[in-house]
Amino acid sequence: MDAVVDMLRWLLEPGTWTGPRGVLARSVEHLWISLVPLVAAMAVAIPAGVLSGHYRRGQAVGALVTNVGRAVPSLALLVFGLLLSVRVLGLGFSFWPIVFALFFLALQPLFTNSYTAVREAEPALVEAARGQGLSEREVLLEVELPVASPVIMTAVRITAVQVVATAPLGALAAGGGLGRFIIDGFGQNDDGQMLGGVVLVAVFALLVEWSVTRLERRVIPRPLQGRTDASAVAAAGRAA
Amino acid sequence: MIELDRATKVFPGTAAPAVDALTLDVPAGEIVVLVGPSGCGKTTTLKMINRIVEPTGGTIRVDGVDVRRQEPHVLRRNIGYVIQQVGLFPHRTIARNIATVPRLLGWDADRTTARVDELMVTMGLDPDMGARYPSELSGGQRQRVGVARALAADPPVLLMDEPFGAVDPIVRGRLQGELLDLQARLRKTIVFVTHDIDEALRLGDRIAILNVGGRLEQYATPEEILREPATPFVEEFLGGERGLRRLALRTVGDLGDLGIGNCVQADATVEEAKRRAAESGERWIGILDGDRLRGWAWVSDLDGSRHAGDVDTTLFRVALSVDATLREAIDGLVRSRVGVAVVLGEDQRYEGMVTLDRLAQAIVS
Repeated sequence: MDAVVDMLRWLLEPGTWTGPRGVLARSVEHLWISLVPLVAAMAVAIPAGVLSGHYRRGQAVGALVTNVGRAVPSLALLVFGLLLSVRVLGLGFSFWPIVFALFFLALQPLFTNSYTAVREAEPALVEAARGQGLSEREVLLEVELPVASPVIMTAVRITAVQVVATAPLGALAAGGGLGRFIIDGFGQNDDGQMLGGVVLVAVFALLVEWSVTRLERRVIPRPLQGRTDASAVAAAGRAA
Repeated sequence: MIELDRATKVFPGTAAPAVDALTLDVPAGEIVVLVGPSGCGKTTTLKMINRIVEPTGGTIRVDGVDVRRQEPHVLRRNIGYVIQQVGLFPHRTIARNIATVPRLLGWDADRTTARVDELMVTMGLDPDMGARYPSELSGGQRQRVGVARALAADPPVLLMDEPFGAVDPIVRGRLQGELLDLQARLRKTIVFVTHDIDEALRLGDRIAILNVGGRLEQYATPEEILREPATPFVEEFLGGERGLRRLALRTVGDLGDLGIGNCVQADATVEEAKRRAAESGERWIGILDGDRLRGWAWVSDLDGSRHAGDVDTTLFRVALSVDATLREAIDGLVRSRVGVAVVLGEDQRYEGMVTLDRLAQAIVS
């Protein structure tokens, strides 16, 4: 109970929220360290997955990405990001290590689901599209992609939440974001701050989920909305 | 219109060809049905025409042009394509689905809209349906939309792969009738695949019966196939009752003028009516009002009246339309008590009577 009281006291203190180390500033940082790798991973993994699904090629690479992505713990990804940023690219600590780690984390569910969603578009539908005289490009853009969009967007939503919830690890590599409060609270034996950080990360994740749900309504063609897809959930659900 | 010249397909990894050097001419404006058991290569043959399946040998020409000399998607825009699962785009409205090929061809919006409206009327679809989505339609409606989509740019050729295979028998019968009506107006060159010999006999101007490996067993009109099956395979594939099924290919209208039959006008005298009945060898007489049939009466009830129309009449139990098949006519005769069936034309106009004698003459000839 003491910890909860401490947490409330910490949250209610005005100094917690303002200033360069306050919750607001840390939230903006958290948004950046999540958004940059997410958008980058979407830009790489969705087109790659969609094209592999359309041409039925690259299953081997896909399976490799999937299995490695599932097997490697997030902490290992952070270490890898740290090495890449500091040793290889010379970009230093704080921002880039966690961005690299989250980028690699996001690749797997986005690629796998885009690939599967397009590959499993109803064969008769694709054949009918070709039969009407759609070119390969038109088949992909006008039929396969819209039909796959509910599954792809579900993957985006789940991946976004996963990225946001994993971003606090970045604080271990001297990064910013809401993870700071958890790591610093732990380090300073300040249970209130640590618990407050956990609650803030959870709230942040819920807000992200809500935002992507709003986005889904704009991106997915209306008659295809509301088709939940369990396979997307299964493929993306991975211990962080 | 469509010429297959030793068309061959060997799928990778199989030794035996799915279709082995098949040669077949499809004349313009006819429905040619490819029929046979599963594995006979009928669907493969169909799909080689629009290159959904690439031929591995031989030549296929549509309107004199080798299909392999054109880009597949350009070729296909001139060939309507309908498949059993229909494959409507679920994220697009019915109107937008039908407009697929016109949009690919770059028609302007007004022309496309006008064409979509016209086709919805042609296919008997409610115009309100245009704004709906495929998931909101029944199987039969979806199949009509599929045909409308295939016809949108008015292609001269239509390929249909078991289009009515997934709907229930009643809807299937109706769709078959609609296709024949449509064809009577549009005169497309249609290649139609089915495994159902009765569907083939009903729809085909010509039927190609294929055996495993795409071997052509017989290519002829339904009438010829039923009269003289070319091989034991064809005979077995046709099944029993070949004679009765031939009767299903001819209509009552094909019998020609039926004459007035055992009938008199209502204002004829009783003597006249009795004479007519005696000539026909019947104890009853039909009573007409001009070109309408009132019913029939017993000759014995006419005594004491002046005109044939003065007595009460009974309605005939069985009436056939001129479009009824001879097979249905026989059925009607068996069901009628007096051994005749009345034939009615447009607007219930009296066309005459079919008797067993008359039918027997037609069958034997």
